[in-house]
Amino acid sequence: MVINEATFKEFRIVGKVLTDQGYNTSHSGNISMRSGGKLLIKRRGAMLGFLEPEDIIETDLYQQDSGIMLSSTETEVHRQIYLQTDAMAVIHAHNPFCVILSLVEDEITCIDAEGCYLYKRIPVIEVENPAGPTDAAREVPKILKNYPIVVVRTHGVFAKGNSLIDALQNVTGAEQSAMIRYYTLLLGKPLKRDLSKEKKFSEW
Amino acid sequence: MLGMNNSLLKIDLSKEEINIEELSDDLLENYLGGRGLGVKLLCDNLEKGVDPLSPANILIFSIGPLTGTIAPTSGRSALVTKSPLTNTILHSNSGGFWGVGLKRCGFDALYITGRLNQRGYIVIDGSSAEIKEAEELWGLSTEETLEKVRNIEGNCQILSIGPAGENLVRIAAIMNQAQRAFGRGGVGAVMGSKGLKAIVVKNGNKKFQQNLEQMKMLNQVASDKIKVFPVTSQGLPLFGTAVLIKVINAFGMLPVNNNQMAYIADTRVDEISGESLRERFLEKVEGCYGCPIRCGRLTNTGEMRGKGPEFESLWALGPQCGIFDLKTITHANYFCNRYGLDTISVGGTIACAMELQQRGLLEDSTIRFGNSDILCDIIRKIAYKEGIGEYLAEGALRFAERYQGIEYAMQVKGLELPAYDPRGAMGQALNFATSNRGACHLTGYLVGMELLGVPKLIDRFSLAKSDLLVLKQNQSAVEDSLVVCKFVGFALGLDYQVRFLKSITGQDYTIDKLVEIGERIYTLERLFNIREGFSRKDDTLPERFLKESLEEGPSKGYVVPLEKLLEDYYRIRRWDENGVPTDEVLQKLNLERLN
Repeated sequence: MVINEATFKEFRIVGKVLTDQGYNTSHSGNISMRSGGKLLIKRRGAMLGFLEPEDIIETDLYQQDSGIMLSSTETEVHRQIYLQTDAMAVIHAHNPFCVILSLVEDEITCIDAEGCYLYKRIPVIEVENPAGPTDAAREVPKILKNYPIVVVRTHGVFAKGNSLIDALQNVTGAEQSAMIRYYTLLLGKPLKRDLSKEKKFSEW
Repeated sequence: MLGMNNSLLKIDLSKEEINIEELSDDLLENYLGGRGLGVKLLCDNLEKGVDPLSPANILIFSIGPLTGTIAPTSGRSALVTKSPLTNTILHSNSGGFWGVGLKRCGFDALYITGRLNQRGYIVIDGSSAEIKEAEELWGLSTEETLEKVRNIEGNCQILSIGPAGENLVRIAAIMNQAQRAFGRGGVGAVMGSKGLKAIVVKNGNKKFQQNLEQMKMLNQVASDKIKVFPVTSQGLPLFGTAVLIKVINAFGMLPVNNNQMAYIADTRVDEISGESLRERFLEKVEGCYGCPIRCGRLTNTGEMRGKGPEFESLWALGPQCGIFDLKTITHANYFCNRYGLDTISVGGTIACAMELQQRGLLEDSTIRFGNSDILCDIIRKIAYKEGIGEYLAEGALRFAERYQGIEYAMQVKGLELPAYDPRGAMGQALNFATSNRGACHLTGYLVGMELLGVPKLIDRFSLAKSDLLVLKQNQSAVEDSLVVCKFVGFALGLDYQVRFLKSITGQDYTIDKLVEIGERIYTLERLFNIREGFSRKDDTLPERFLKESLEEGPSKGYVVPLEKLLEDYYRIRRWDENGVPTDEVLQKLNLERLN
């Protein structure tokens, strides 16, 4: 196998967290990391929560190769993120609260302290075909140049990080902020303190 | 039935009689078209024990309800006959545009029997047909035939045989526009045995009814899915089917030296990869009628120019013979196309000869693994039955029998194995053993699920595969009867095909009903083989796969526990312990045993 034990352990932990905590269905989502001019990415059809070494596919970072036959459907999005940003690892997940808010808002503005500290504003983008890799591969990297995470409306998030664990924090952190915002909106009461307005996060 | 012509063009070459017969709605609704229609016609009309190379054998070309519509990959047509290589029933299909031409001429099937007194070719011109003299064409390569017939007939689609078919080589193919092939089972020899050089379709303008608005909507949704899926939108279009070389090798399943190994650990695999083919020789990407995938390759080595090689050809003429020189392999593939030979069987038979030489059973020391110098010359000898080519022309099984080394023939029921070592994927192994036409990878392509993860990934070494294989074999029979390409199945399931079919025919088809039709076709093929003397003993694999585990690579240590798999398979198919369909299943499928 192309992957060493320590790297595989990171893949397995991150995959399991994403599945166990409900960020993905049994088969959705994909995770990847840079590896010396190559890209290590989850195999298409493999279950993120139960990864085996054979489920991590190596493919070229700079051009298409036969790895595309086995690698995740969204490999091209990952590849473009690496080519256009400082990402060392990328996670794509279907965060439920981020997706819900993306259906009604044009950005997710953080109102909780942790979210304000880490993200402030989580961009939402709309692409013509949200389920396919082509449009996302074109639009997502543009946003991730300046933000750690982006929500593709109706679909899910793409997050980058210095490592898979770092990217995982961005996925879970953004979801926490989205959940808090969602429940707060549901209460229908004015905020006692709106940090997002104080800091003008909409301009972030 | 809407979407079909309900019309059979029947030609008796011995009597030079041409008749048009009506095909009933009942027949088409129960067998769809393509492979199903061909199987039904063959089983109803071919007597037991007929020599496949005799005038009595029947050659049936057929199209399906989806042929020529806007459904993706609907340019294919099917062929059914009795194989001179295996003596089993043989179904094959080919892409391109010929099938669409036949349908537009107003026919669902072309049924050919007898033998011409003088060599000839058939011209289907609009709604009429005639037999023309072909003495001048005899002896020409498929490319020369294409050119000459085009000069005579103008704009047309042409099936033809090359010298291999004329010389009754049991591994000869029928070439489609000299590029694509009805490849397997020696169908070219059947055509040659009838004195038939070519079949031309032209000037068809018949319109067939379809619900165009609904079809457009379905086509849009289907096209979106094909575009999203990387295998159909990137892997195959960019690199052609040769993209699979590195993929299959990565699983330790790419056979080398006649399946003595199945893993290439060094850079030789890069030399023959789809990436390398694209970088070095690709001239143009080509596609069949109605195909958004476009996996076809027109290549140019600087010395020669032609079609391919496809994955299976590249492997058979390459690693299976211990050869890793891409240029030589590509040239060998061109020669197979010109002579009209099945590349898989050619490679498999030469590899068998090479192992016989390695084991001291064949004295010719030039026929050894890795000797690329002889490859193209051996192919010529096979096509013309010259020297040792006379024996190689009989296929691996007969060749190995001649040299007392039957265990070195990698074949099932006489058909040489394709490019997947069975020890690395247990479902595919069972498929090779049980396929009605011999070692065929396409009959129930479990590689899709076991390796490629389409539609979903399953454990490739698990033995709980029989149910799934039965379903896939039945589905595959449906796809071959509609007729659509296997590659579109990577992106679209039967849920899409059933909607296309309903839209075209107006009939209330369901997935269950289609799967039952697939089962009917598959079971009828089985009944044909049983009548011809096949039984459980033939549902097997070469001993190598049952007893010798691989020593290297990701499939190291595995053999195929076939008996266990086979027991489950028969039980699920409701066949008895000898592999004979029970009365219960025949009654359900409205079939009778063949006499």
